[in-house]
Amino acid sequence: MTEKRTAAAVSDRDFTLAGRRDLELDRTYGSQSFWRDALSRFVKNKGAVFGLIMIAVIVFLAFAGPALSGYDYRTQDMAQRNLPPHAAGLEFLPFFSGVQTRSVGGETVKTDVYAEKGIKHVTHVFGTDTLGRDQFARTWTGTRVSLYVALLAILIDTFVGMSYGLVSGYFGGRVDFFLQRLVEILSTIPTTVIVTLLIVVMKPGLASITIALMITEWIGMSRVARAQTLRLKEQEFVLASRTLGESTPAVMFREILPNIFGQIVVMCMMTIPNAIFTEAFLAFIGLGIPAPLASLGSLISDGFKSMTMYPYMVACPVVVLALLMLSFNLLADGLRDAFDPKMKEM
Amino acid sequence: MKIWKRLIPALLVLTLLAGCGGDAQPSAAPGGTQDGGPSGTQGGEKVLNVGRMAELFDMDSTIATEADCLEVISAIIEPLFVTAPDGAPTNALCDTYEVDEAGTTYTFRIRRDADWMNGEPVTAHDFVYAWRRLVDPATASEYSFMMEVAAVKNATPIIAGELPTDQLGVSAADDKTLVVELDRPVTYFLNLMTFPSFCPINEAYATEKGSQYALGADNLLCCGPFYMSAWDVGGNTYQLKKNPGYYDADKVKLDAINFQIITDPQQTMLAYENGDLDYVRLSGEQISKYETMEGFTRIEEGYLWYLSCNLNPKSPEYSCGLENENLRKAIAMSYDKDTICFEILKDGSVPANFAIPNRLATGPDGRDFRETAGTYLETDKEAALACWEKAKTELGVDEVTIELLYDDSDSTPLIAQYLQSEIENTLPGVHLALKAQPKKSRTELMQNREYQLGLTRWGPDYSDPMTYLDMWTTGSTYNYGEWSSEEYDKLIQEANTTLANEPEARWENLKQAEKLVMDQAVILPVYQKGTAAMVRPGVTGLSFFPVGVGTIYKDVDVNGTD
Amino acid sequence: MLKYVAKRLLISVVTIFIILALLFFMLRCMPGSPFNDEKITQVQRAALDAKYGFDQPVIVQFFNYLKAMLSGDFGVSYVIQKNMPIAELLKARVPVSLRIGLQAVTLGALIGLVMGIVAALKRNSPLDTLSTVVSVIGVSFPSYVFAMAMSYFIGYELKWLPLLYDTADPFRSTIMPTISLCMFSLATVARFARTEMVEVMGSDYMLLADSKGISTFRLLGVHGLRNALIPIVTVLGPLTVELMTGSLVVEHIFAIPGMGSLLVSAIQFNDYNVVLAVVFLYSVMFIAVILAVDILYGVIDPRIRLAKEEG
Repeated sequence: MTEKRTAAAVSDRDFTLAGRRDLELDRTYGSQSFWRDALSRFVKNKGAVFGLIMIAVIVFLAFAGPALSGYDYRTQDMAQRNLPPHAAGLEFLPFFSGVQTRSVGGETVKTDVYAEKGIKHVTHVFGTDTLGRDQFARTWTGTRVSLYVALLAILIDTFVGMSYGLVSGYFGGRVDFFLQRLVEILSTIPTTVIVTLLIVVMKPGLASITIALMITEWIGMSRVARAQTLRLKEQEFVLASRTLGESTPAVMFREILPNIFGQIVVMCMMTIPNAIFTEAFLAFIGLGIPAPLASLGSLISDGFKSMTMYPYMVACPVVVLALLMLSFNLLADGLRDAFDPKMKEM
Repeated sequence: MKIWKRLIPALLVLTLLAGCGGDAQPSAAPGGTQDGGPSGTQGGEKVLNVGRMAELFDMDSTIATEADCLEVISAIIEPLFVTAPDGAPTNALCDTYEVDEAGTTYTFRIRRDADWMNGEPVTAHDFVYAWRRLVDPATASEYSFMMEVAAVKNATPIIAGELPTDQLGVSAADDKTLVVELDRPVTYFLNLMTFPSFCPINEAYATEKGSQYALGADNLLCCGPFYMSAWDVGGNTYQLKKNPGYYDADKVKLDAINFQIITDPQQTMLAYENGDLDYVRLSGEQISKYETMEGFTRIEEGYLWYLSCNLNPKSPEYSCGLENENLRKAIAMSYDKDTICFEILKDGSVPANFAIPNRLATGPDGRDFRETAGTYLETDKEAALACWEKAKTELGVDEVTIELLYDDSDSTPLIAQYLQSEIENTLPGVHLALKAQPKKSRTELMQNREYQLGLTRWGPDYSDPMTYLDMWTTGSTYNYGEWSSEEYDKLIQEANTTLANEPEARWENLKQAEKLVMDQAVILPVYQKGTAAMVRPGVTGLSFFPVGVGTIYKDVDVNGTD
Repeated sequence: MLKYVAKRLLISVVTIFIILALLFFMLRCMPGSPFNDEKITQVQRAALDAKYGFDQPVIVQFFNYLKAMLSGDFGVSYVIQKNMPIAELLKARVPVSLRIGLQAVTLGALIGLVMGIVAALKRNSPLDTLSTVVSVIGVSFPSYVFAMAMSYFIGYELKWLPLLYDTADPFRSTIMPTISLCMFSLATVARFARTEMVEVMGSDYMLLADSKGISTFRLLGVHGLRNALIPIVTVLGPLTVELMTGSLVVEHIFAIPGMGSLLVSAIQFNDYNVVLAVVFLYSVMFIAVILAVDILYGVIDPRIRLAKEEG
């Protein structure tokens, strides 16, 4: 950094190794390709591997879950409304007993709803909703929508946001000026307003949600990428490669990009919840995925309406959503550590 | 160090930003009043705390349309009559009245002891001013048509801007005598007079306040049992207090009514259980938790929820086979209305097998309209299927896809999804696509006839079947389906004109008209809305009505609540 | 510097103009009008349109609006509180939202920063794990889950804090909304702070500074934090504005008369003037914050010269 300290008073003390650092000065690394290197580091990271496995499990359940439950997301059964979670034959499990606990006038009353209705043989792993639809099937069907939104967010973030920020930050000057004005205009209108207006003008549906997210979700990323690029572009290694005559795209993507990768991945993982919550917000004001299809967001906002009555209706999708986020975050941390060469020795 | 010199401005900017917040804090409560919040019954004062879902949109009696606003207006500015608990109009500002033999001239004598809160007496001129204001095209009041419903002389041309407002058939014979001339006798005229649109307004006060009139608690002049003591503009509370100068002040037991706006129904119930609120409305699944508790009340409302079919689509985009009568009948009979009312809503809603709701109007025989009229389009899945088979042959198709338009208010999304499931299960080959829109957009699409099938509602404005039947006449704005029947138009025309003085014959005409609408399945009725409420035990005297003003607070008393 | 700020301010005015124009025309594209209630007739609607100037061409309406706006008149509300001047309508709500937003951001940023730094210093320690868990929970759950849970347990079961917003007691009644809103910014800041600090701590100049033996406090405060602040300030800026303009769902739960719910109902009711005014306010705050952030960049890291941006 910046200090112009002269080496006037160099003494032995200045060169004492900080005891807590494990500097193996003589260690030599075998030459490995960047990707293999990253992979080996990634595999060592337990959290990241856990995250990856969880995502795989969630993706699997999202596609196979409804079929496993034997129900679909839209079949209603008025005889089985508002049932708590229950797994026939596995009643000893605390969560799947089918017993509903409710406080009536200060007293806690427990009722075995399934026994009461004489349907002890029926299994609803996550219970049922207000129209008697199986929550397990609905939750996993809804997860598909949220996964789609997450995927979309990542794509928009990396392709639009990152490139935009890099270009804007790297070129600076007039290019930066105009690109930043555009960002300013887009980001200065509250997301709520853009998204709601778009959906109201277009027809509510997945396509409209996609377009709304495309317009709004990349802005944060572009800002981070630009800020990072601004910081790096004046640094010596960038100047060096430029002096050595590397082409502009090469400098941008080979020199700057790997150095800001950590921030990009973290930002990406921040955008995913944002995108999923934007979808949930739309569901909340009645402009989300068209009924009877569900998304995690719409399930949460529906279940939310009877949270004090049937907490499991909101608990199941919230837990799935949280697990999804947790996995994405762990994965992101792992990726960042694996890809960022500077993190190597730590 | 140099670094510190650079860091200091940075910190300064940050503190400045934070400082702005600090400055904003004292002013956070300027609109609020100290006693604006819910407080319970305190220090011997009798206070009723009411939970509300929406803000007050408007307090100008000539402009207001929302049920909540109408309720408050009639509590602070009384009309000539108010509805008694049995549903009949009873004298309020009116002391005595006379009708001439033809039934077209009413003379009202206004109470001598009725005063505005600034001490001026309530006069006939106040009524003349308010009524002219209501029909003035410059006011552009949505409820100006009430004056046409009341058949007050010249109301129609004045609203259309063809005559000046002073030609309205209302005049002040002297300070306390109001004379109203009608174009034709109107059997339910006194019922109409309970509607807050007919409330008086003090001319001098309103003129002085100008465009500020009725904006905020300080800009309202009251003469009712209560006055508005606080209205936190844009806030979440408003408050009424007892008007000590009210002519019947001895009978008013409450000292204050606090209204708290909470949009979330669960929070409303938590606040009720906490004791913050005494009278709240319940919705959705909350009902099953509270329906066995003391204080649970089911209120019948006049709203009819129905499916409106686009019968005359202006472009193929909105055509989906609903032009076929058998398809409409098939759909109308295919869904289980009992389940909707008693399983899903549970708020006192009743299955609608009619176009005119229960308890709306009493006929010349003294019995409710519904008691003597038939029932139509009852749920009958087999008959529905038979109709669908006929429709298939007539239309020459095996499948139809219909887009169901609905809005996101209260339980509507649930009902729409249930209807979709029921219709598709009962009638194989009928597919429903659901289209949700905010209410304003939904209304706009239906008013423009840009829809196929719409889930909508209609609330009565006065106690006569005409408040509904008028809707389906040719050319009516509210005839969303563009249905047209000469026979029907003739029946309605007669009821409004030649039969106006023959109540029995008129009543028969109205029954005929309803039968026509139902037999052709112009609208597919679903349910008559009810409302579930919790009223804290000990609160007495609240009365609820399906038409006009929903709740009357004048006689409320609070006993024994802590 | 002054020249730069002046130039940016000029640009901001143009930006706001473009936003207002864009929004104005977009609002007019929405189906519906403020006046299409169930019971309104064509004649009345025409009368209302004429009364409020909707019968004129949209472009004329826009310039009329601009002209009035420049003289400080934001028009009246058409639906939410009929004929109420917008300024009056916002006067009560803006301070409430500002207050809760600033409380949330300040609390979130402070705790987040501390957590991030501690986690970076004690990598892979239980403290690091704790900080990661908290920040993951913060970004994984929507704010209304915290709001709902707190209002149920603290407001209803334990009755420690008021369940609903109370104008008479803004401090106590904004504690729960503040906490539920601060979780996201707390988590965001903590994560960025940790990532940045780890990177900064590993850089050569930190090794140098460390090996020269300056105190941990100065090491962190002067050398470490300053370099870690850039990305944090970048995300925190917009977040602040977002929080200050209110959150629909949290307002919904605590019955807070804030701007979030106002904006959403204004859009749903087609109350154009309210939407325009709220967005205008948001835009001004946003541009101010972004400008402040850009200036802060230069202050935090002198290598980013503002002059360079002028091209």
